Amino acid sequence: MPVKSGDKLPSVDLYENSPASKVNIAELTAGKKVIIFGVPGAFTPGCSKTHLPGYVSDFDKFKSKGVDEIVCVSVNDPFVMAAWGKEHSADGKVRMLADTNGAFTKAMDLEKDLTGPLGSIRCQRFSMLVEDGVVKTANVEPDGTGLTCSLSNSLLSQL
Amino acid sequence: MTIKCGDKLPNVYLHENTPDSKVNISELAAGKKVIIVGVPGAFTPCCSKDYVPDFISDCGKYKSKGVDEILCISVNDPYVMAAWGKDLNAGEKVRMLADGNGAFTKALGLEKDFADTLGTSSSRCKRFSMYAEDGVVKKLFVEPDGHSVTCSKSENLLSQL
Repeated sequence: MPVKSGDKLPSVDLYENSPASKVNIAELTAGKKVIIFGVPGAFTPGCSKTHLPGYVSDFDKFKSKGVDEIVCVSVNDPFVMAAWGKEHSADGKVRMLADTNGAFTKAMDLEKDLTGPLGSIRCQRFSMLVEDGVVKTANVEPDGTGLTCSLSNSLLSQL
Repeated sequence: MTIKCGDKLPNVYLHENTPDSKVNISELAAGKKVIIVGVPGAFTPCCSKDYVPDFISDCGKYKSKGVDEILCISVNDPYVMAAWGKDLNAGEKVRMLADGNGAFTKALGLEKDFADTLGTSSSRCKRFSMYAEDGVVKKLFVEPDGHSVTCSKSENLLSQL
């Protein structure tokens, strides 16, 4: 069942900057208000032109609503995620976490087969507000890749 | 079966810039002198710092030896490969070709499990460099451990041409 409001986040490790740097998503979100958004692929057009930049530029607005951290997740390795974040000046605003093996995506049941265009199973596009490790709001794109309900301005209006 | 000197390049499609832009490696190599460089991962430190940049900066030297094209392949999607090429200023010097689902790497018999570091969605490619004429491999250097930078370095391949 795809992740929904009321669910506890799974205790899964993601990677930040390098394979040696593990971040457990359940630990990261404990006691905090965190935005998590997932994308099908680093450097892909929709994710790069609209989805990630939206969250980077709305950082202060999220902070003023009490959000502690914004996290971006994708099924890419940590080197690719770090490079993508750097290209979009995400540093200090959005943490780029690599779901290297797709474990987090699978645990949330948000897999999408993008083997044709991207060569592997990826994550559906989504956004969520998590409080103390529990999902409060989850917005999953109906077709998994569109740029509608999961965009930054949409989530902001829900806070 | 692992590719070796004397073998024909496999008839496999790679992608350039986008998933819609297919490049058949046998067709590309037909009638030409090409260098093909394989790496474990786009944006990884080793591949990015010196390895691929050396092939980019040696482009002029390869051209003076009659090489028509230099290709870099990795098991990454085409958007990642294009972004990496831009980051490295590969420009017209090295074509960044995506082996998104690892088909080319598998056909060469050069797969390597980098599960711990780069994920298990597909095996990655061992580091290698090769020189092919009219689609036939003439020189081939595969790193013994699959990832270090030794025999497959540009200066070594250049010296063999």
